[in-house]
Amino acid sequence: MSDPVSLTTDRPGRVATPKPSARGRSHRTNDRRLAVAFIAPALLLLLAMSVFPLLWALYLSFTDYSATRGGTANFVWFGNYTAILTSAQVHLRALTTLVYVIGAVGLQTVLGFSIAYLISRRTHGRGLLTTLFLVPMMLSPVVVGLFWRFMLDAQFGVVNSMLGSLGLEPVEWLTRQRTALISLIVVDTWQWTPFIMLIALAGLTAVPKYLYEAASIDRASEWFRFRTITLPLVWPLLLIAVLFRAIEAFRLFDLVYILTNGGPGVSTETLSFHVYKVAFLGFNTGTASAYGILMVLVVIILTQLYLRYLNKLKED
Amino acid sequence: MRYPKRRGRPARKVQLAAAAMLLLATTVAACGDGKDDDAKASAPKAPATIPELTQDPLTLSFIWFEWPPAKALETFANKEYKKVRPNATIKVNTVPNANWHDAMFTQFAARKTDFDIAILDSQHIGEAVTNGNILDLTDFVKSNIDVGAYNPYLLAAYGQFPQAETGQRDENASLYGLPLLGDTWTMIYRKDLIGDKPPQTWDEMISTAEKCQTDHPGVSGLAFHQANGSDAAAVTYNTVNGVYGGNLWDAKNRKIEGVLNDAAGQEAMSVLVDRMKPLTAKGSGNWFIDEVNAAVAQGKACIAFNWIAASGGLLDPKQSTLGTTREQILGKLGFATLPKQKTDLVPLGGMGMHVSAYSSPANQAEALNFMKWFEQADIQKKWAKAGGVPSRTDAIQSPEFLQAGPFNQVYADSVPRMRDMWNVPEYARLVDIENTNVNAALNGAKKPKDALDNIAKEQQAVLDSSGRKGGGGL
Repeated sequence: MSDPVSLTTDRPGRVATPKPSARGRSHRTNDRRLAVAFIAPALLLLLAMSVFPLLWALYLSFTDYSATRGGTANFVWFGNYTAILTSAQVHLRALTTLVYVIGAVGLQTVLGFSIAYLISRRTHGRGLLTTLFLVPMMLSPVVVGLFWRFMLDAQFGVVNSMLGSLGLEPVEWLTRQRTALISLIVVDTWQWTPFIMLIALAGLTAVPKYLYEAASIDRASEWFRFRTITLPLVWPLLLIAVLFRAIEAFRLFDLVYILTNGGPGVSTETLSFHVYKVAFLGFNTGTASAYGILMVLVVIILTQLYLRYLNKLKED
Repeated sequence: MRYPKRRGRPARKVQLAAAAMLLLATTVAACGDGKDDDAKASAPKAPATIPELTQDPLTLSFIWFEWPPAKALETFANKEYKKVRPNATIKVNTVPNANWHDAMFTQFAARKTDFDIAILDSQHIGEAVTNGNILDLTDFVKSNIDVGAYNPYLLAAYGQFPQAETGQRDENASLYGLPLLGDTWTMIYRKDLIGDKPPQTWDEMISTAEKCQTDHPGVSGLAFHQANGSDAAAVTYNTVNGVYGGNLWDAKNRKIEGVLNDAAGQEAMSVLVDRMKPLTAKGSGNWFIDEVNAAVAQGKACIAFNWIAASGGLLDPKQSTLGTTREQILGKLGFATLPKQKTDLVPLGGMGMHVSAYSSPANQAEALNFMKWFEQADIQKKWAKAGGVPSRTDAIQSPEFLQAGPFNQVYADSVPRMRDMWNVPEYARLVDIENTNVNAALNGAKKPKDALDNIAKEQQAVLDSSGRKGGGGL
């Protein structure tokens, strides 16, 4: 019996092949070089545009560096992190962001899934309806912010004009503490509900029909079919959509900037908006870097917890 | 079964190690760059005499925010400056007002600018000077500019650092800029609703607005800046603060707490929130220049306050519902200096020209030449005629200026009454604190007293935080 080592490739389980000749090895080396050559530009771009800035920000986060003042970056070690984590200003923005994320993503999930469910039950015009519902998602958030700003204007806005025609009092949508945050949630929901709808629709159309047929034979009610077939099968996919939306909502900036500029006062300032102010009003680059790193860490930790739950769900 | 050792592993490890070292080296190199900047941490000096100018085609770029004077400057400069420098083209780049500071200072931070002349607000000078972003023009001004032709405070406000005391100029201090556009608030009032004679005191102005609002349903008594972006709400509070005898700070001792929120400051905040705000339109808590102008043009306000340089559009029949001709509109709109109360102070607006330290030598020379040309008496008068607000006393008093707009006399009368905000490197943060808190008070998110106490406390913390280790800017 020959030596099994010489007959195996570096991948166990594959059919053993004879050791390649010198010419074959040369081909493989060339292929490898070619592969490296192909991926090198993308890899370098990734290193230059993502990895290096991240490491650079990490380094700056331990310093008191200011981009405009220049000069030496003095190490303050965890000084920036401690200041951020103990700052009442940051706690306030974190609470605002939390309320916003829960409000916006919760509303989008309920609406998005409901619309997807209704569309999935239609046989005619499904494609057209889906396309129409997707339009808001395709617009730039700045454009969306600008036209909603006009629509929600207390004096000249179309929303208050409609309320007026119904005999209702005009509402100060963007300049009152309670309504300003609600307005942000409504505008974000208007734009991003289609995203949840799209993912939910993909999940709904993938549910095997025979399950429903079997349930029909058993005379299962509509609600029973929804609860025991539709929801459990679509749930994991829906959770992924919620994860994406939650991450997006967590770093909301553009809508706040255009619609309320964080006001009234700072009542709609999210964490991202606050980072912007720290970074560009006082050019406290070190603090802003630490702030950004902490936000990335929060997203990573929450995503990990979320993915674990998702995996557990799959295993179950 | 035995498996052969993977050949790829060591090679991959070497590659990973090499990549890590490359990143580390790049990071260290970048850190080193920061050290190099240390040597440049003060404003470089402009030459006393203008260097030889290029004869090649050249574009002299400005940066400003988007508003009518920006367009007026580009048109005026290209028409007039080309007569003396045919190879030069003037380009005024504009950004939205809220991005103005960021647009300039992010480029300064990069030590590379796509503009040669930064049009800085007077309060930006401290930040730009301490960071070494603009040229020191002291020697250049001495040799090329007739400083006696200006009201000393205007020259100081748009160029001097450290900041001058209100109404004065320190002749020994350095100058970093020259006036481009003077400005202050004008009171705009509806002659057809409240009569030809404008209110003379702040209290009278409020009661007149109150009566007008009651007598004319659908028209609000007042319209003024309340937004929390830029310096909108802050300027409004500072104006009322000044009129009611308050002070923004004790500049000598860098003290804000106990000064801003003293009895006069509290009275001013109470007047603004409790007496003036109820006379404004519902939902006007985010109004700035354009919204106030729109309210006036649509006949929705009895009395309004706005910057003079932004008021030209009010007389345009295409933008107004008050008349089909300029004369008809002027029959209804009056412009007056701000009413007095305990003092006669008015806010100083406007901006100066400042040469970027990162511009090319040829463009810096052209920028200096442009500034020398622009500050001449006859050019200032032409600028006034073209819609600009000059700073030279002879131009301010000239018929070209006084007859160019009904609000120009207001500016001429207001010059001796002007007061500026703080001109310190921490300006951007100070104004943000004041803006957000005044805006919160105006929109019911904070009680007026709490808002003012918060402003004083937070601004004081900013001024006191220079030696703090970590967490600056929160």
